[in-house]
Amino acid sequence: MTIEKSRKLKFTLPGYPVGLFDLENPPPIYVRGELSERPMVAVVGTRKCTRYGIDLAESCGRTLAELDWPVVSGLARGIDAAAHRGMVSKEGRGVAVLGSGLDHIYPRENVSLLTQLLDCGGAVVSEYPDATPPDRWRFPARNRIIAALASAVVVVESALTGGSQITAVLAAEMGRPVFAFPGDVDRPASVGTNRLIRDGAIPVLGSEDLVAELSLLPGFDSGHVPRSAMNPPSSGIAIDDLPALWDCSISQALSRIGEAEAKGELRREGDRIFPETGLN
Amino acid sequence: MYASTISVALVGGEAVPVQVEAHVGRAKENFRLSGLPDTALREAKDRVRVAINSSGIEFPHRDVTINLGPADLPKRGSDYDLPIAISILAADRQIRLPPKVVAVGELALDGKVRAGASSLGAAVLSARLEVPCLVASENAAEVARVPGSMVFAVDSLSHAVSILRQQMEFDPVLADTSKSIDPDVADIADVKGQLVARRALEIAAAGGHHLLFFGPPGGGKTMLARRLPGLLPRLDDRAAIEVALIRASAGIHGVVSNLPPFRAPHHSATRAALVGGGSGHPTPGEISLAHHGVLFLDELAEFPRAHLDALRQPLEEGRVLISRQGVSADFPSRFQLVGASNPCPCGYFGDRRKPCSCADGVRSRYRRRVSGPMLDRFDLSVWVNRVEVADFREDVGESTSLISNRVSGARTIQLDRHCLNRDLNGAQLDQVAMKTVDSAAIVANLEKGAITARGAVRVRRVARTIADLNGEAVDEVHISEALMLRGAW
Repeated sequence: MTIEKSRKLKFTLPGYPVGLFDLENPPPIYVRGELSERPMVAVVGTRKCTRYGIDLAESCGRTLAELDWPVVSGLARGIDAAAHRGMVSKEGRGVAVLGSGLDHIYPRENVSLLTQLLDCGGAVVSEYPDATPPDRWRFPARNRIIAALASAVVVVESALTGGSQITAVLAAEMGRPVFAFPGDVDRPASVGTNRLIRDGAIPVLGSEDLVAELSLLPGFDSGHVPRSAMNPPSSGIAIDDLPALWDCSISQALSRIGEAEAKGELRREGDRIFPETGLN
Repeated sequence: MYASTISVALVGGEAVPVQVEAHVGRAKENFRLSGLPDTALREAKDRVRVAINSSGIEFPHRDVTINLGPADLPKRGSDYDLPIAISILAADRQIRLPPKVVAVGELALDGKVRAGASSLGAAVLSARLEVPCLVASENAAEVARVPGSMVFAVDSLSHAVSILRQQMEFDPVLADTSKSIDPDVADIADVKGQLVARRALEIAAAGGHHLLFFGPPGGGKTMLARRLPGLLPRLDDRAAIEVALIRASAGIHGVVSNLPPFRAPHHSATRAALVGGGSGHPTPGEISLAHHGVLFLDELAEFPRAHLDALRQPLEEGRVLISRQGVSADFPSRFQLVGASNPCPCGYFGDRRKPCSCADGVRSRYRRRVSGPMLDRFDLSVWVNRVEVADFREDVGESTSLISNRVSGARTIQLDRHCLNRDLNGAQLDQVAMKTVDSAAIVANLEKGAITARGAVRVRRVARTIADLNGEAVDEVHISEALMLRGAW
């Protein structure tokens, strides 16, 4: 861990994030690292996520990092961690909001992720002083900080109840646009996001689509447009589907992607391939 | 007065002749049995006495001594009943024996002969020593498939006696080849979707490569593995009999099959059950029962690590030496290994629809349960995901018979060249496959650190097999495909 001490920011001090003034009583916050002044996007979701959600969250993290729109999330397992990971992989400046003191990183497995996040010029934020243990009842309150910090909220996967639903509702009340990724109607991890869409959240169809939507919002100035929608899509494509797409044998499909991987054009994870963005 | 017949002991999957000697002397009535018998064999005394008497022949009221030679080889089982009875009757001059005769079979109290595990061994000995053999009629036709054997089927002790009294002027049993058919070979066309896994299976069959399936439950890893024996070339009779003999020494009766064996031990199996062992008598383990066939280890990471590492040496040498007091047996164990594993304890990491409930640390600990050197044996490792509903509607894929034709073509090319591609070493590979430095794809992967030098060798071996399936020289295309069929773990 970085040894840098955390500093306390009251709303009277310069550098206090403007977004937090939307809260009823803007609380003092403890910060370690650099809080970016660029418009932030909260990428949140359930801990009980599926590969579908992880791929999307990572993809969002990577794409937003390329535009220097910091991702705010809660460093929880699952979607939160995936979003942070995506951001860190492109050396974006992310923000993690904790529900405990900054000396109590929870969950422990994400300590190294947080270190990377700080090394990339990101920040970690909490409204609790050091030595506050991670108690579950504090986490919902943490969500209102996430909602306030962000200029837009993206829910990747969520059950009917849970932290990400709270974040979405709070954000909507504060006038922040809420985006949600649709999923199968019968999948527990997508029930919450589908419900949000029915209740008025904006459906997004991938990280590229998210960028397109976000760039219409005030404040989101895109320095450059990320590389156009690639083939395969950023959420990946199953290798088993390639022969049908390309009208060739599985053997030919395998050798084609093997060649492309060697050239660094795509990467393979399990049974899917993904475009390798930003290498050239 | 003395007489002897030949019976058989199974040691290390080999049929070893055992002389069953009987002496009937003039001293007062007595019945002794020597030659390291186990309990089942010691009880043969009672069975033989009653069986002889109930066959309408008289058990000699004299001093009967039986010796099973060589006297220092431990013997076991009930298949010595028939040769003991015949030797006694011959020593008592009630029947005359040909100079040499092999006999095996357990006697029921009414004199019926029951088939035992050693019938096949008797037929093997009959062929090797060029002498007739008597076995229970139950499996006589089947063991008569041993080329060169002269098999006589007997129903009962009195039947055996009448055959011997007529100096064997019967025709030997003809070999029953109807049972050599494949018992239902599961067709690979039954597997829906899973194109990559099916392709990996074809390549594994062609080159003999060890294969690892990896993925969430319900993907059909087991279903796929069970289809491998059908893709392999059929065993010739010699190999089929070798396999059946090993099975017999594990006490498993069964048909002689030309289909390569498929063994799938549960992960709770002991080390002795896997590599072989047993108290007193060396017994073949699963790796020997899978000789010439497939050993499938489902839930690979659930097997104790020490058990898996015990497989490494037999994998290398193709045989395993089991030593016990008095006997040591050398069991062949040239098998093809297929492993399957979930990616994590809950099984759902990487699944598109179900959440994984494992923490990150748990996942990597789970994978570390299989040692690096063990993972190194797998030339192919592919991810098998759950099948989507759409795949069930898809057209049927290629059938087992179609693929196995290509496989046997590729195997012929390999055997004409050296050996199976699985066994190619670095120097041989340099001659028959692209050199590491010549392949742009391998060099790129080495530079990225995506594969190791040893990984590169495996990739080239697999590429050699892919090229053999097409009857071509190794090219960048084959290397690229091989690169995609590894590293799922």
